[in-house]
Amino acid sequence: MMENAWIIPLFPLLSFLFLILFGKRLKEASAYIGILFTLASLVYSILVLFDRFSAPTFKAEGVWLTIGDVQLTAGFEVNQLNALMLVIVSLVSFLVHTYSKGYMQGDDRFPVFYAYLGLFTFAMLGLVISPNLLQTYFFWELVGLGSFLLIGFYFYKEEAKAAAKKAFIMTRIGDVGLLIGMILLFWQAGSFEYDEIFAAVEAGAISSTMITLTAILIFVGAVGKSGQFPLHTWLPDAMEGPTPVSALIHAATMVAAGVYLVAALFPLFTASETALMTVAVIGAFTAIFAASIGLVQKDIKRVLAYSTVSQLGYMMLALGSAGYVAGVFHLMTHAFFKALLFLAAGSVIHAVHTQNIEHMGGLWKKLRVTGPLFLIGTLAISGVPLFSGFFSKDEILIAAWAHGNTVLFWLAVIAAFFTAFYMFRLFFMVFAGEARTDMKNVHESPSVMTLPMVVLGVLAVVAGYVNTPWFGTFLGDWLVEDNHALGHGHIEGPAWIMIVATAVSLLGIFLAWLMYGKRSLARDWLTSRMPLSYNVLYNKYYIDEFYSLTVVNGAKFISSFLRFLEVFLVEGLVKSVTGITSSLGRLGSKFQNGQIQTYGTVAFVGLAILVVIYAFTGGYLK
Amino acid sequence: MDLETLLSYEWGIMTPEFIILGVATALSLMDLFMPKSQSRKILGWVGFAGVLAALVSLLGLIGHGPESILLDTFRLDSFAKAFKLLLLIGSAMVLLIATGYEPNEGLEEFRGEFFYLFMAALLGAMIMSSSGDLITLFVGLELLSISSYILAGMRKRNLHSNESAMKYVINGSIATAITLFGMSYVYGLTGTTNLKEMAGFLTSVYNEQHIYLLGLAFFMIVVGLSFKLAAAPFHMWAPDVYQGAPTPVTAFLSVVSKTAGFIIMIRILFSIFANAPSGDAQGLPMILALQDYVAFLAGATMIIGNLIALRQRNIKRLFAYSSIAQAGYLLVVIASMSLFMFDTLWFYLGAYLFMNLGAFAIIQHVTHKSGSEDISQFAGLYRRAPFLAIAMAIFLLSLAGIPGTAGFIGKLNIFMGALVPSEGHYVLVSIMIATTVVSYFYYFGVMVQMFFRPAGDTGKVKIPAALTAVIGISLAATILFGVAPNIAFDFLQGNFNQFTDFFQ
Repeated sequence: MMENAWIIPLFPLLSFLFLILFGKRLKEASAYIGILFTLASLVYSILVLFDRFSAPTFKAEGVWLTIGDVQLTAGFEVNQLNALMLVIVSLVSFLVHTYSKGYMQGDDRFPVFYAYLGLFTFAMLGLVISPNLLQTYFFWELVGLGSFLLIGFYFYKEEAKAAAKKAFIMTRIGDVGLLIGMILLFWQAGSFEYDEIFAAVEAGAISSTMITLTAILIFVGAVGKSGQFPLHTWLPDAMEGPTPVSALIHAATMVAAGVYLVAALFPLFTASETALMTVAVIGAFTAIFAASIGLVQKDIKRVLAYSTVSQLGYMMLALGSAGYVAGVFHLMTHAFFKALLFLAAGSVIHAVHTQNIEHMGGLWKKLRVTGPLFLIGTLAISGVPLFSGFFSKDEILIAAWAHGNTVLFWLAVIAAFFTAFYMFRLFFMVFAGEARTDMKNVHESPSVMTLPMVVLGVLAVVAGYVNTPWFGTFLGDWLVEDNHALGHGHIEGPAWIMIVATAVSLLGIFLAWLMYGKRSLARDWLTSRMPLSYNVLYNKYYIDEFYSLTVVNGAKFISSFLRFLEVFLVEGLVKSVTGITSSLGRLGSKFQNGQIQTYGTVAFVGLAILVVIYAFTGGYLK
Repeated sequence: MDLETLLSYEWGIMTPEFIILGVATALSLMDLFMPKSQSRKILGWVGFAGVLAALVSLLGLIGHGPESILLDTFRLDSFAKAFKLLLLIGSAMVLLIATGYEPNEGLEEFRGEFFYLFMAALLGAMIMSSSGDLITLFVGLELLSISSYILAGMRKRNLHSNESAMKYVINGSIATAITLFGMSYVYGLTGTTNLKEMAGFLTSVYNEQHIYLLGLAFFMIVVGLSFKLAAAPFHMWAPDVYQGAPTPVTAFLSVVSKTAGFIIMIRILFSIFANAPSGDAQGLPMILALQDYVAFLAGATMIIGNLIALRQRNIKRLFAYSSIAQAGYLLVVIASMSLFMFDTLWFYLGAYLFMNLGAFAIIQHVTHKSGSEDISQFAGLYRRAPFLAIAMAIFLLSLAGIPGTAGFIGKLNIFMGALVPSEGHYVLVSIMIATTVVSYFYYFGVMVQMFFRPAGDTGKVKIPAALTAVIGISLAATILFGVAPNIAFDFLQGNFNQFTDFFQ
């Protein structure tokens, strides 16, 4: 199977081409084309994965381009990481294709949506089987294009248009770093091939400063794609796209591409302590930073978006702490539970036609399938024991501890507390209590939407058991097999870490319950037994006040401080760059006044400048 | 020169030029004797056939060894062959665009002139690519320039077109004067106009004053010729002229004329200055000692072109600045002087030819239909004509250098060429990367119009067959050379032997 793995990305490509050509005639039947082709990819990917369990890495390539005496190759590779990614991507894509059939029903650009989904899936699958940096870069850009088209899908909305543009440009800024790093690596190692780059690194052919520099530049690319601080701002805005797109691209696959890139180049990063440290610090900071912003958001998708940013920060922290397995493991579990959360959120939005959680409430009784599934996702992301997120988050914390990053470790623990808190705040505000606004015609989504969620729900529970300290670390051992550069399959850590992690997540849930679950209880109680015990009420109120004073205000303060950083420092920087650029452009076009005398003068002045420099330097610049 | 020597020359190597000359003459006679009422469109097809015939005869000459006749005023070396190929393919496509051109105000009566002036311009460009003497180089340059001045003013009753021609001719004269002044210095120092003899003579110049004068000549020639490239400091005419000229002429100026500019630049700079000493201690050739100045111009051109393009609303002006920026990228090739400079230049010019002409074919169609050149005319193109919109998107992506397109491979080659020499041109490469990022803004601005804006006018679009052909060929080539660039490089290496005969 593995020697034919190149066929996997071609199925969605075919779907894309087919739908672009005949979509208009097929109308809503386009969905079946997309679903069938991605199903083919999924089946093939699973077969390849099982093949890879028993056989060694497979790689095939041929010469693509010759420049001077340099030869560039193109081909594909199936190693452990690639095989795993193939299954994750094609599975989520297949489920999203299915789900969209219900969600996008009635949209008059239905076939176009499916065509774009096909294009994106093709690019993403192509990205994960690339054996060299150049090919990766090619698909990396194509993935960006697919994301651009899908975010801007509702192009008649101003915000969607702006978000599409912002996403494209912000990630492009990161891509410049990637491009420079890639070219420098090529210059140093003489090849874009991963294997040859690693060989050159191991043989000491590249100076350690250069390794650090290129690793950090490549990480800049990953920062852009994976929405890490300070290039994260596009990801929450990208929620303007249709919700299935958010699940596919902005939760499970494309944003994980940055993490994947760092994992794929892991031997390069481990060769430089500074680069690893950079990755870890950015990751941990992003994790807590985004989580704290998530505490106060009111839009259901934005909360999930910030939580994605935060979870990606966790993965980066893991990789930066030399926890290769932990990073990849969390990438996998996160893909499942976050895609589930987004699809469930989509189902909620589908039912109530608003994204503002202030207007929701009491949906548990009305959405009998979506509610429990959303709860499963929330439990998994909060790291409640026995759910998948618990095991992978535990691995990350252990890795950070074992690598000696004590400060980062505690940051991650606090972020875990925040995560549990804001996720349950979201859950209680949406599902608990009673509806805060009039909601008519609230009904459960059709089964074409709920079935994909059920599949993800099952995975969000069981996916963790492939790598646990209790039943064996199968995934970890397999991932690092035959490759000592990737570190150990399992890192031993003190047992108290697991207890602390559980404790903070339960504490977060409890707090959320007190504030958002309980408060609505108190309101019931108040209305029914108004004249009774003011004191108790007062005390309750006092507790709430106390919590909101300490925890919420503290968090609000941190988040507004970070928000301040974001608005004034990051956006200011971005704005000033664009401002300078456009004012230079304005200046230039002022010169272009249509007066032909000016044109001639400019030419002569140019000549004069050259001659004057020539005269002053005695003719030689060197 | 007696008749016998004249007859002994191998005239066969000039076949492509003779064909173009013959067709130009025939077209002018046909125009003279054809009844006034008859459409001149047929002349366009005759011209197209002539260019194809010249192309075929050129392909027949590809295996021919380097040869020079008429006292070295006409050379047929690999460089000439490879770049003539680009000129002819570009011209054939521009002719196709021109036959599909239906301006709103009457061009009909002058249409005949259009075609044979076009042929004359092409002939000038071809002479330049195959000349080994300053006099013939200059004659070729003027033949191209003067024909282009008239072409720019072809829409005689349109004020913009008149203004465009006027500005073009005045700026062109200034540029010619500067170039010629520079050439006169070189002539004065060497006493010959033959490039090869000049090169031989200059190897033995040791007088510092002479070397200094030679340096001044270098600057004047570079600045003068930058007019043809539309590069800084002689770029300012481009937006006004591009906007006013008829669209096929704009396409011609931005592709064929620019290619010709690079041809003459390479011919003169690398023949004369590659062997001249620069007078410094390490005995560097002059061209290496002065390459930083070219780099300076390249950087300035990239910055100016890309930044000002951000503020354009008129699609032809936008493409004028884009073409300035592209000239800047191409100057990076000359400034970095890597071993595979010719290959890189050839490939990028070829890729640029296809992506730019494809884009111009679409621009002509869209702007003509609505009568306005504002980029809002592209709004909702995807709904009206999905094929046009997707093709345009691919051309824009290629111009922006996104992977998967020929433009990306071209830029990749330029990067490699600039970084491979021992002292890599980091600054230049950084400027190129930064300005490329800037260019995404305006290229994507057009894409946003096409895909994300509602259409103002929803009429169905019918594309003339000639334009469809140009768009189809450009599209195929842009993708093919982006996915399998080795086809082009194998052809180059198989037939032109690394351009080693350039200096012979």
